[in-house]
Amino acid sequence: MAIVMISSMYQGGREELAQALKRKTDWPVLSREELVDEARKLGIKIGRLEVAMIKRPGLPEKLAREKELYLAFLTATLCAKARQGALIYHGRAGHLLLPGISHRLRVGLTAPREVRIKRTVRALNLTPDKAENYLAQLDEDVAKWIRYIHRADGRDPNHFDLFFNLENMGLSNAAGILCATAELPDFQPTPASLKLLDDLHLSSQAKLRLALDERTHAADFHVKADNGVLTVTYPPDQDPVSRHISQVLADLPGCREIQCTMAETNILWVQERFTPESDNFHQIIRLAQRWGAAVELLRLIPPGELQGDMAALGPDPDHGFGRQACAAAWDGGVEDDDPATGADDGGLSRTEEELINRGRYGGRHTVCGGYDQILERVQGNGRYTLVVIGDMFLAKGHSTRTRQTRELALNIRDRLKAPVITADELKSRFLFGQRQALTLAGFLALVILLYGLVFTHQKPVLDFLGGAIHQHFKWLAAAAVAVFSPLVAYIYGTVAGLALKIINVD
Amino acid sequence: MHALVTINYIDIHWATALQVVLLGFIGGILSGFIGSGGAFFMTPGMMNLGVDGVIAVASNITHKFGKALVGSRKHAAAGNVDKKLAAFLLITAIFGIQIAVAINSYLFKEGGDGHGAAKSAGANLYISLVFAFILSFVALSMLRDVIKSKGHSEADSGPSMKIAEYLSRLHLPPVIHFGVADTKVSLWVLMAVGTATGYLAGTIGVGGFIGVPAMIYVFGVPTAVATGTELFLAVFMGAYGALSYAYQGFVDLRLTMLLYLGSLVGIHLGVYGVKVVNEKYIRVVTSLIILLCVFSRIIAIPVYLRQLGYLNYAAGWDYYFNIASKFFLFASGISGALVILLQVLRAYRQRRRIQKTLLVIRKPDLRQAESAQAA
Repeated sequence: MAIVMISSMYQGGREELAQALKRKTDWPVLSREELVDEARKLGIKIGRLEVAMIKRPGLPEKLAREKELYLAFLTATLCAKARQGALIYHGRAGHLLLPGISHRLRVGLTAPREVRIKRTVRALNLTPDKAENYLAQLDEDVAKWIRYIHRADGRDPNHFDLFFNLENMGLSNAAGILCATAELPDFQPTPASLKLLDDLHLSSQAKLRLALDERTHAADFHVKADNGVLTVTYPPDQDPVSRHISQVLADLPGCREIQCTMAETNILWVQERFTPESDNFHQIIRLAQRWGAAVELLRLIPPGELQGDMAALGPDPDHGFGRQACAAAWDGGVEDDDPATGADDGGLSRTEEELINRGRYGGRHTVCGGYDQILERVQGNGRYTLVVIGDMFLAKGHSTRTRQTRELALNIRDRLKAPVITADELKSRFLFGQRQALTLAGFLALVILLYGLVFTHQKPVLDFLGGAIHQHFKWLAAAAVAVFSPLVAYIYGTVAGLALKIINVD
Repeated sequence: MHALVTINYIDIHWATALQVVLLGFIGGILSGFIGSGGAFFMTPGMMNLGVDGVIAVASNITHKFGKALVGSRKHAAAGNVDKKLAAFLLITAIFGIQIAVAINSYLFKEGGDGHGAAKSAGANLYISLVFAFILSFVALSMLRDVIKSKGHSEADSGPSMKIAEYLSRLHLPPVIHFGVADTKVSLWVLMAVGTATGYLAGTIGVGGFIGVPAMIYVFGVPTAVATGTELFLAVFMGAYGALSYAYQGFVDLRLTMLLYLGSLVGIHLGVYGVKVVNEKYIRVVTSLIILLCVFSRIIAIPVYLRQLGYLNYAAGWDYYFNIASKFFLFASGISGALVILLQVLRAYRQRRRIQKTLLVIRKPDLRQAESAQAA
């Protein structure tokens, strides 16, 4: 069941390495080129997407639907093949496909520039100068493409498990190393990774169906899958299309339940353990109801959670590296499906049920690791209006917990480019409570005072701004304006924002 | 009251104050909805209330400064601000603002015959002409794109990218890379766009209208980053503009404060409207509102021409020109704001309706089959 994903730039040797590995293992090989051909037959306009992406940088947002369709096709096809057995895939960004599947082996290749130029000269019948220019332009375009399609830097070492430099190593040896690496326990399927593969397969198939069916192709859906349950959210203006969702997805293999929620936006709630009775839940549900948002649950099991148990087994030979800390704790939540077994799913099922009852459910995930793993799991899900980091690192002391939660929030914000706040900040930033009422009263009094002072003393104010006094204190007047104006904006802006919060317009 | 308003400032009575608040409110709604600063409506709106052009611009740029300071904090938190790009644009924009302030000040001092409103006629005429030319161009381009995209899929409905494609082929060194925006731009292109943005911000108080599309279509910056960066830039440009105008005594803080009263409420409603309206509709509404504003300003031009002695007609006609100009300005703003408010109300009602919309389709046959298989 090995999944080897090989990436390199054009003429970087990925195809040859895949074939060398195939000769050693007899695993089937699939290339990006084959997938692109199949996608074209299905009517996905990849050429247009590439040209628009590279030549018309202002257009990406317009092509978001085409991009989602392309990614859904790639994911669905790769998942289908990977579920049948071992697979070798090679492409320009293969290492970024099938996000979160822990048993895939992500391999990067780099080859000397001269070799790539020689190969390009032969392949395209160009002069060496032209081939060099061609490669430079192509590398730049591909990097741009990867950034848009996968929202990641294609050369970032964090996204690879192995990286070969073919300057001193031959393809045959590289294939031998790959062969041995793929046999390591770290790259063997676990119940968790197999479950995730099934979820990815189901959600990508659902996305494809919705995008290709004439009844639903023009709508924007947010699709997720968990243990055979599909969650589809759609914006209110696409309400008329929503009645077709169940018809389009009705006979999708592996789907046993479809949940559709109309939502204007999505809130991602990351927490270690969920309880529908908690303050966090009530605050988030209030916000979701105000915004018309669906709430997506992400249970994050920090990798260090079981360190105490591990320590009891003796010294860790890997010095804390690798993913062994979570593997024992989490097998992918297969048992989550049946609450009757009493398995501990961190309160996900009960919270999910409560969200469903309130019409605000937007899907769920379980992830073991840190922000890299969170990002891998949610990056393809579209943008979130807000990410809330709830109670995390529960095994740690208060200070450590606060610091690590803050660091997690900052890292997710930087990488996901979405507003990220902690649950503590939620109330003060978005909800209206006693503290906000006091702020409103205090700032309102200040507004009345400031406006009262200015409008009852117009003559001296105008003299200072542009009259007789101004002639002697020009810089002072300018500085006063520069300070006073934003001050009024801040104070009155706070009043206006809080007042609108009371009537749920924000 | 007249004794204190020697040359620059208008009397502010309750009725005037309410009209300025209303201008701010409508400007705020339009600003939140179409993403500009709303100056295209507020500046001429204040001029129609008798405020000198240069004071209207100065008070509005001061208002924009405070508003941008508050707004850019939110964008910065969302990671939508490319500070490096903003810094490059700022340096060139300051040069543009300085040109604008110098021209406005010169025309204000030299214009008319030196009596009352006519003294500012030169500046008013100049501002009105730049306003009409630039915003007609923006509005007509928007309308042309919407008409051209009729019948095409949404993916094809973007504005023309000929300039961006041309510039990307030129490769004018030095080329600078901007990390957050993830784009490379020639320094020369940056300088041209920054100066133009600064000049327009300083002349007619309109910056975002030029800056945001330029960043998106000329530089290739993602929309959210363009908006966030423009707002961040507006803080500094606004501060510089406000300081420059305030130093010369042109800022009327009363007007700025009254604009805040309306705009900081309106902007929330406008932003809310964007969430529920499709993009083509936004562009059509925006361009029609701008065109009506331009028309309103064109109607007022004969008054300034007469005051400068280029046209000869009875002074009594000024009243009718002003009334007509005021009518079209308010018609554009009020009708635009009403359309947006209507959408906001619809969305508000819809929100209440969608509180319970969950639809769960279970497939018992499949579930039973799975259970049987498991057993």
